[in-house]
Amino acid sequence: MNGVFAAMFLLSALLFLIFEPEAFLPALAAGGEKAVSLGLSLAAAYCVWLGFFGVMEQSGLTSLLARALRPAARRLFRSEDDKALSAACCSVSANLLSLPGAPTPLGIEACRRFLARGNEFGAHMLFALNAAGVQLISTTALSFRLAAGSASPADIVPPILLSTLLSAALVVLLTFLTSPKRPRSPLAPRPRPRLRTHSRR
Amino acid sequence: MSALLFPLLFLGVFAFALFKKVKLFDAFAGGIKGALPLLVSLFPSLAAVLILSELFTESGLSAFLARLLAPALELVGIPKELAPLLLVKPFSGSGSMALLNGIITQYGADSYLARCACVLYGSSETAFYLSALYFAGRKISPRPVLIALAGNLLAAVTGCLFCRIL
Repeated sequence: MNGVFAAMFLLSALLFLIFEPEAFLPALAAGGEKAVSLGLSLAAAYCVWLGFFGVMEQSGLTSLLARALRPAARRLFRSEDDKALSAACCSVSANLLSLPGAPTPLGIEACRRFLARGNEFGAHMLFALNAAGVQLISTTALSFRLAAGSASPADIVPPILLSTLLSAALVVLLTFLTSPKRPRSPLAPRPRPRLRTHSRR
Repeated sequence: MSALLFPLLFLGVFAFALFKKVKLFDAFAGGIKGALPLLVSLFPSLAAVLILSELFTESGLSAFLARLLAPALELVGIPKELAPLLLVKPFSGSGSMALLNGIITQYGADSYLARCACVLYGSSETAFYLSALYFAGRKISPRPVLIALAGNLLAAVTGCLFCRIL
């Protein structure tokens, strides 16, 4: 990230210096302005979805959800942390359904919980999945086509679905293949009684 | 459909919580408690990425890179008109949205290019921007970002292919 930032920043600044030096500062300020307004709308989304998640947590829905999805999710994210797992599952499914605003706060929440327990793999897997853009329907693209008077706006759905599933598969595969160390707990032979697995950690 | 989904989701979850005798207000407010600290911890990297993405597009660097990469992209079946979209998408959701809208209005909603652009837009995500948020304040290892970018590129290539044959 630092390398990318340095290279891109310097190159861009150089181009500004050569072609239009007076536009450099306004561009920087415009970026900052976007950060502030985007930060505000992010904060709004956090309030809604973290509040919602708080209610889910208190009512025991998150642990129910985590229990239902645990067999798949614990392998996918290599985690036994119920709260993190359910936040991760909520985030991925919200992304899948392209619910605006929900995936990012929940994803960040799950990512922090993974990292707090030193589970880098889970955080990377979740990030890669969400950043691969696993989406069943892109509402933005659909609405743009609709607005431009497309005859059949929905004919982009099958290609999007197919290619996004392919990329999700690639991302999961690559994350598994490139993970630095083999997992100890989840894939190792585990004791047969699966109850109360979270107490073992 | 998604208009119905949200009220239903909240109604269902809140009703279930009431059934479980949860103090709704406390639980909801308790969840929100983390929102502002989260924003504060995310903001530095968010701002840095957005300023970078503004520089990237405004300086003409993205257009230059797009021209440079176009032949390579054509080789894997991505039309050269889509190169800017492909380059901006990892950094900026709003920037790529504007590009997408531009392509749709310029070439017509049902043209091959517009459909490809939609698929490219819909099957990828703002990977750099998301990495700044997900790993804010931590050392970002390049591996997950590269993996996500590889996934997005694959989706772009197959998406353009599917647009041609479907």
